[in-house]
Amino acid sequence: MEILSQLILNGVIAGALYALMALGFNLIYGVTRFFNLAHGVLAAIGGYAFFTLSKTLGLNIYLGAAIGVAVAGLAGYGFDRLVYSTLRKRKASNLVLLVASLGVFTTAQAALSILFTSNFQTLSSGEAGGSALSLFGGVVTRTQLVIIFSSIASMLGLAALLKGTMFGKAVRAISDDEEVARMVGINTGRVTGYVFFIGSAIAGFAGILAGFDTGIQPTMGMGLLLKGVIASIIGGVGNIYGGVLGAFLLGLVENFGIWKIPGEWKDAVSFVLLIVFLIFRPQGIMKR
Amino acid sequence: MDYILHLAILVIIYAILGLSLNLVVGYTGLLASGHAAFYGIGAYATAILTASLGVNFFVSMAAGIIASAGAAFLIGAVLSRFDGDYYALVSLGFNVIIYSVFLNWQGLTRGPLGIPGVPRPALFGIEFSSGVFFLALAAFFLALSFLAARFVARSSFGRVLKSIREDEKAIQVFGYNTVYFKLAIFVISAGMAAVAGSLLSSYITFVDPSSFTVMESVFILAIIIFGGLSSLKGSVVGALVLVLLPEALRFAGFPQSLAAQMRQGVYGLFLIALMLYRPQGLFGEFKL
Amino acid sequence: MTKTDAILKTRNLTKQFDGVRAVDDLSISIAKGKVTSVIGPNGSGKTTLTNVLSGLASIDGGSVVLHSVALKKIRPFDMPSYGMTRTFQEVRLFEQMPVLDNVLVVLTERSVFGALFERHGAFHEKQAEEALKKVGLWEKRNEPASTLSYGQRKLLEIARVLALSAGRQTDIILLDEPFAGLFPKMVKTVSSIVKALRDEGRTVVLIEHNMDLIRELSDHVIVMDSGKFLAEGRAAEVLERRDVIEAYLGE
Repeated sequence: MEILSQLILNGVIAGALYALMALGFNLIYGVTRFFNLAHGVLAAIGGYAFFTLSKTLGLNIYLGAAIGVAVAGLAGYGFDRLVYSTLRKRKASNLVLLVASLGVFTTAQAALSILFTSNFQTLSSGEAGGSALSLFGGVVTRTQLVIIFSSIASMLGLAALLKGTMFGKAVRAISDDEEVARMVGINTGRVTGYVFFIGSAIAGFAGILAGFDTGIQPTMGMGLLLKGVIASIIGGVGNIYGGVLGAFLLGLVENFGIWKIPGEWKDAVSFVLLIVFLIFRPQGIMKR
Repeated sequence: MDYILHLAILVIIYAILGLSLNLVVGYTGLLASGHAAFYGIGAYATAILTASLGVNFFVSMAAGIIASAGAAFLIGAVLSRFDGDYYALVSLGFNVIIYSVFLNWQGLTRGPLGIPGVPRPALFGIEFSSGVFFLALAAFFLALSFLAARFVARSSFGRVLKSIREDEKAIQVFGYNTVYFKLAIFVISAGMAAVAGSLLSSYITFVDPSSFTVMESVFILAIIIFGGLSSLKGSVVGALVLVLLPEALRFAGFPQSLAAQMRQGVYGLFLIALMLYRPQGLFGEFKL
Repeated sequence: MTKTDAILKTRNLTKQFDGVRAVDDLSISIAKGKVTSVIGPNGSGKTTLTNVLSGLASIDGGSVVLHSVALKKIRPFDMPSYGMTRTFQEVRLFEQMPVLDNVLVVLTERSVFGALFERHGAFHEKQAEEALKKVGLWEKRNEPASTLSYGQRKLLEIARVLALSAGRQTDIILLDEPFAGLFPKMVKTVSSIVKALRDEGRTVVLIEHNMDLIRELSDHVIVMDSGKFLAEGRAAEVLERRDVIEAYLGE
């Protein structure tokens, strides 16, 4: 029984982190229709920005986190302006954009390792993850509770933004049909830029939280990205709510999967889940 | 001199990888992003068979080709249902799964410790242990791979592959069951990659999982995109430039400790620049 | 027309897209060795019909009868073995391949191993040459298809079908708006090709809007409206019918 609630808790915690990655990934996919493989490195950028500000320079952690999130957002915005928007204007195919994003990912990751070394760094000071609490017979750290709550809060915030504002309407219009959106006078280039900022900022937030929970490393992006992408696809790619659902399903399956097989197989388990979905339900849980 | 021999052998190994991957990416238009998996299967087949079981190198290479082609057959059976960015993603996923196997099937691969003591090839009492002899052997296999790739590319089969790249539905209507063609070229390409893997493990006399990550697959992809999609000459030139360029950076005074990161940074930037300014690469006939 | 000489029939054929019946309970017969035009206003389901016949869209109800074999499912790559080939309304060429390769590729070995060990011999080259000369594209053979003009692109599609039908004796040829957007000279070329195909005894299904061409070329005309069968008969009779004219005017 205790194992069961611990597995569920672990699944929810992992799912909450993946959900943050999936939120930004899906938001960006919705308006640009390409797999932005550089999305993961923004988590690392957020983590390292926070690391520099709060651990090296001693800034207040909330302020450090806020600036770290903004740095990730700006980096994502910058990648869009410098690379993707140019390619989009040329009507490049989504494979070209995918390869370009792979290039952005590789370059940014290399830059992080050169600046900060490839070593593993932990963000939390004192005991890892803060004090442990007992919950439904399982153990959860304070950091992990923060992850769960901020993931849900980010989703609700993003949902409110998309439902209630003119910006949200513009985003949905572009997702439906970019040509039409442009014809009715939406500045699609600018809206897409903002979408990159918001999506990347959420990824940066995920990176900081992951850094508190375990730690940061320049190569952390690939793992987080793949989890975000898998969550998005099994949830229904381009559908932000589906992505969140997919993230929790992925977190749970992974953690139940390693109940019986060694934990090193986690990544393989998640890809098997993806492949099963692609074969039997390619449109994901929630169709776009 | 040894240094030059070393670089020449590396260029040859990557040229074989490039040639084989180009058949799938350049000719068939399928963005296979997991080539390192098959490279790894060839390397492990040689390491396990020669180091642990004392089998002759050339026999181990044949076994590696068969193992790799067999794995590609199973993976390709799933993969050939997809195209476009999903193909890229799922092939990358299989790279992660195979990498997990290298890392975690301790009984077979010794996990992260790797397999040391892989002997240099020997045939009829001639040992290819010196650098020059090994270079000659590697060059022989490069020539063989080049001829094989050209044979495929110039056959009617090669023309059908190109038409799949251009419009898969349209060529189906003219009577080709394209799934079989996609599967066949994937298997052929994987078999060729295993040759490169065999050469690697026998040359370095050691094999461990870190040589077969997704990043390695991205590097091979960068080689062929730089050299030119659906250009065999381009694959060889691409390997030459992308293997040698980071070495040139070392001579320009960048510290040795950052070599790996510099290499990544360079080919990341190459990918971005190519997508922006020359998506068909140096000698390419085909744009993604 | 008697039932016995029908080479291609549809029986209560239905195809839906998101609840809309693009082809609705359609039963028609195409006579062997004749030119049959399928006409109807835009959105009447003509192109959907060719897509269903060529396996690019699945059959939701009813069946297709080919050479008196009833089919519930058609896979696109089975088309030539049913003796059928087609052109596309929205031209689908192999853009980054030379013009000649666009034709050669439909002539070669269908099996993986066969194709792998086949070098295109003089035989295929000759058939491709013939087809390209018929449409006047032989001089362009080494240029990528993407460099052709709109009309030349349509002609290359026709060359592809001609080569396939000559090489593999496909006797049913679906032409989806082959004349749309062509210059008068090219229209002449294509209409003489259609006549030549009929003279060789092949069955041509023509989807067309131009009434003059329909009158000139068709042996038989079938009218569709909103996915349903509306009328059929000789061109001169059918095109005068009030319900047919109304269907077009109501567009």
